[in-house]
Amino acid sequence: MGAGQFGDTKRYADSSAAKVPVDVNLKLDELPQDIRLRAIDRLKIGSLRHSKSRLARMLLMLALIGPGILVMIADNDAGGVITYAQTGSIFGIGFFIPFMVLMVPVAYIVQEMTIRLAAVTRRGHAEMIWHRYGSFWGAFSLIDLLIANSLTLVTEFIGITFGMGIFGVKPVYAVMIGIAFVLAIMLTLRYHNWERASLVVAAFNLIFIPLVFFAHPNWLLVASSFGSWHVPSGFSTLFIYVLLANLGTTIAPWMLFFQQSSEVDKGTVPEDIKAARRDTFIGACIMASVAIAIIVLTGTAVFSAHTSDATTSGYNIAFILAAISHKLGVLPVKLFAIGLIDAGLIATIAITASTSWAMGEAFGWPKSINLSFLKGRKFYIPGIISMLIAAIIVLIPNVPLGFLNLTVQVIASIFMPAALLFLLLLVNDKEIMGAYVNSKLQNAASIIIMGVLILMSGLYGISLVFPNLI
Amino acid sequence: MEKAKKKYYDFIKTEEDWNRFVKKEKLLEYGIKPVKRAKIKGWAKLAFIVLRIYIAIMVVLVVLGFLHLL
Repeated sequence: MGAGQFGDTKRYADSSAAKVPVDVNLKLDELPQDIRLRAIDRLKIGSLRHSKSRLARMLLMLALIGPGILVMIADNDAGGVITYAQTGSIFGIGFFIPFMVLMVPVAYIVQEMTIRLAAVTRRGHAEMIWHRYGSFWGAFSLIDLLIANSLTLVTEFIGITFGMGIFGVKPVYAVMIGIAFVLAIMLTLRYHNWERASLVVAAFNLIFIPLVFFAHPNWLLVASSFGSWHVPSGFSTLFIYVLLANLGTTIAPWMLFFQQSSEVDKGTVPEDIKAARRDTFIGACIMASVAIAIIVLTGTAVFSAHTSDATTSGYNIAFILAAISHKLGVLPVKLFAIGLIDAGLIATIAITASTSWAMGEAFGWPKSINLSFLKGRKFYIPGIISMLIAAIIVLIPNVPLGFLNLTVQVIASIFMPAALLFLLLLVNDKEIMGAYVNSKLQNAASIIIMGVLILMSGLYGISLVFPNLI
Repeated sequence: MEKAKKKYYDFIKTEEDWNRFVKKEKLLEYGIKPVKRAKIKGWAKLAFIVLRIYIAIMVVLVVLGFLHLL
């Protein structure tokens, strides 16, 4: 779509025939495919806004949810699920339960800024960095994002193949099913339906919550953890490592890019900010609830007091599931496997889209899930390629998956401060944000959170390559 | 081509309503309004210097670390 094709908006605003009855469908036909489909979605929202009935209010609320819940649930990806399971297995019920609750405002405050940026600028994160801070920082962010996304997708496919392996599906078929599933959602559905289908997939992430009840946890112990913040095995290098891993799992660079682009593609405008905030807060609560459920499950079924000298590699997911099977039976293991597959799938859907959006934004290509494959192939292909590379890597025999996982986390630790800095700069930029810049309180909270995240990211990155340093 | 159902655009009756809708939803400004290069000054300039130093240190550490691991 050329920049000038629909650039003369004044011809609409200054129309002398303003009172002339309008044929909306004719007007829609004049728009390019992606904008026309977005306009239809926005007409539905406008119609609901004009209605005063309770049903319309409820439907409006449902229509405006999406990117916030998606980004937060996709953050509970296969790697995240494994990290939470290891956390519970090694440290039991204690410190990490209230810690996860603390992650709700942390994730919310960071992601909320992307909502305002999207609503006010109608541009994605990659596009804003590229245009506002130049091609060096734009390319730096894009390359980091692409590498981190591709390698993160490897961990998603590991989760998918492992989970399907529980049901006897061979890795090659598991990978093919995963690819087919994500492609079907991405290439055949327009944004609104893609978002709804993704939300349905995301809903399966909640499977971990009822799973807790199989373990019959000591709820008194869970409740008391909020008072004591007790670390069962004491503070150790392993504790710091797991703490950093959980923090890294909560906020990842792709989340900033994904939510901002998703809000733009959805058509979020300043009037929707309140609803989008609600959407993000609900998502953050779900994210923490699922994380806590997994920690309580493994903290009850796998943790024992003798794990103080454990390592995360010793507590791999196969060991954890074997322990769950031994204590709770086969059904919880199968449900856990479904959750793991789902976590991999929803994250693959989100990360693939984030790659495509970022590439489209950086290079000025058409960038919307509303586009058909033929019209938006430049937009879709980068995401598809990154997914295929990840899938192939998983199937290569003896590929150093541990090393790849380490690399992705190190890249994220280098990239995270830059991504957070750009976010803070953009959201404080009066020239582009106007009245929607951060308030003093929002800045204070953001700076504290970002300071801690940057410090932890750096420490985590260093700890991964120099394990004996901390 | 997907059409909008009448019930969804009942609130748009005239050209003026449509223009208001298009403007409010920023439909046609999408991807068009230029974003100028920001002037980096004050605390932002300092933040960029710190960021460059952080990245340089991290890259050196990571390269050393990976060489050590290999």
